[in-house]
Amino acid sequence: MLIRLAFRNIWRNRRRTLITMFSMAFGLALAIFFISWGAGVYARLINQAVRLQAGHVTLEHPGYRDAPAVDLFVPGSSKIIEELSQWPEVERVKPIVLGQGMAKSGAGSLGVAVVGVLPSAEAASSPLVKNLSQGKYLADNDGPWCVVGKKLALKLNLGVGKKLVIATNDVGGNLVEELCRVKGIYDTGSDEIDTYLVQVPIGFARNLFRMPEDSVTQLGVILRKADFQKRVLKRLSGHFPAGRVAARAWQEVMPEVASYIRMDKSSNWIFQAILLFLVLFTIFNTMLMSVLERRREFAVLMALGTKPSQIASLIFFESAFLGALGCAAGIVLGGVVALVFNVVGIDLAWFVKEGISISGFALSTRIYSKVTPGILLVPSILVFAAILVVSVIPMRRAVKFSIADVLR
Amino acid sequence: MDAIVTVSNVVKNYGQDHVVTAALSGVSLRLEPGDFAVMAGPSGSGKSTLLNIIGGLDRPTSGSVSIEGRELASLSDADLSRLRRDRIGFIFQGYNLIPVMTALENAEYVLMLQGAPAARRREKVLAVLAEVGLSGLENRYPRELSGGQQQRVAIARAIAAEPALILADEPTANVDSRTGDSLIALMRRLNEKGATFLFSTHDPAVMAKARRLIVLKDGLVESDSEK
Repeated sequence: MLIRLAFRNIWRNRRRTLITMFSMAFGLALAIFFISWGAGVYARLINQAVRLQAGHVTLEHPGYRDAPAVDLFVPGSSKIIEELSQWPEVERVKPIVLGQGMAKSGAGSLGVAVVGVLPSAEAASSPLVKNLSQGKYLADNDGPWCVVGKKLALKLNLGVGKKLVIATNDVGGNLVEELCRVKGIYDTGSDEIDTYLVQVPIGFARNLFRMPEDSVTQLGVILRKADFQKRVLKRLSGHFPAGRVAARAWQEVMPEVASYIRMDKSSNWIFQAILLFLVLFTIFNTMLMSVLERRREFAVLMALGTKPSQIASLIFFESAFLGALGCAAGIVLGGVVALVFNVVGIDLAWFVKEGISISGFALSTRIYSKVTPGILLVPSILVFAAILVVSVIPMRRAVKFSIADVLR
Repeated sequence: MDAIVTVSNVVKNYGQDHVVTAALSGVSLRLEPGDFAVMAGPSGSGKSTLLNIIGGLDRPTSGSVSIEGRELASLSDADLSRLRRDRIGFIFQGYNLIPVMTALENAEYVLMLQGAPAARRREKVLAVLAEVGLSGLENRYPRELSGGQQQRVAIARAIAAEPALILADEPTANVDSRTGDSLIALMRRLNEKGATFLFSTHDPAVMAKARRLIVLKDGLVESDSEK
């Protein structure tokens, strides 16, 4: 009876209930949309970063992270690649030789990161290949060829077919130089990448750094789903003989990306908290008004023998119904909006003509939201739980009076 | 025979410190089972205050009230709630029905609180609604009923659980005289079947129909006479 009464009570002032529900639904939908938007940006950023760099999980020499140098390499990479490629969570494993050097042309010189890659593996996943603006991308059997960024090409006056000298230290610490020709120029839109990154075939890189055959500085493990990371890391722990290979999460390898996401999430949470507060304030206000204007009715119910706890339960059920209806409407509204933007995306090119670059990774200006059951349900459950908590105040107010005074 | 209600030297003061208003200044009375007593008196004479105190809705400043031998001052709020639910029926001046409940649901509310099974509850309440002349109107909401019909629902609510005592605060104040007469006749009929009534009124027509008339004045019983 109390539950039925509570449900009917929320419709006594239909307009107020609908306004409250709409406010809740709008606030929750906004929260869902922004969370899904953020999740979309993070997913895209992570996807792009791990594919361009060293995967969701990076295998490297245990000492490499503290002192990145080509002499801290992992030997016998083919066997590891072959084994890990069989794992169901793994999409592909890409071998990388990464070292620092100086790129020199007739126009000048610039410090660069020289990245030796297996072009066929890279072509399948790297966003760099998709952003090639001139020339062609590398092939597996290429010799001394490289692809450079648009900004580097501009600074060193490079064009397709032009010569570039890379000077660096080899594994023995000797100063070495190799000449290569520019095969392609990419334009990712990221200043850092377009100025700093020179990709070469992995064989050329090994030769440049005088590294043993089949050795790599890193193995980038690209997973079918980012969520598999923990499982794969767990599987990899203790998989290799101690002191030979360390498995690291992308968050450790690219801490600037991870900290950007953490920071952005924190500011999003503040925004969500403000939204939550507004939603709660709306429903609190509605419930309190509804309670205060029905004190006489509660006095009558108590005069008839209703216990204060039963009146409090009635208010609790009313809050729960109102919260559930508002949350359901919010999930539907927010879910539909997030799904629409998950399919069509939003093109921000009009607002950010210079492109979007986060932590040195250029993202497409078309942003797609990401929708998961968690994104829809977690904020809704939080809002619903918070509504039940704030309903305690109207519950207390509903039974805190003298029956005789109210009935007088 | 044991009294249903025993009021002994009840004083009720409102206000505090230097500004104290005495609503009741030492009222004593007994109500026996089957009484049909009317409390009369001018506004401010303490009728409603006394009804509230007898009904356990308010506590006296001093003095004591017992219902069926149970001293109200010794009861906790929860016990008072139970006592009101099981032994006392209330009829209010302004009907005070729950607007989102039908006539039937309003009338069965107290039985529901008592945990009576739905089937028995329904059977009993339908009979009570028929008794008060509301057959066919069970599923109407209070807004769909006239003032007199609403007060009949309130009476049905008060008597459905067969309480020992029914307290009515000016039950005919908001209805026309014809409806008022029929309501009093209804209460008399119910009284003849065993219900004990104590109600307050200003209405001389109602006083004329009382079997016992208690007149309050300035917080004291001025007269208490059987007719």
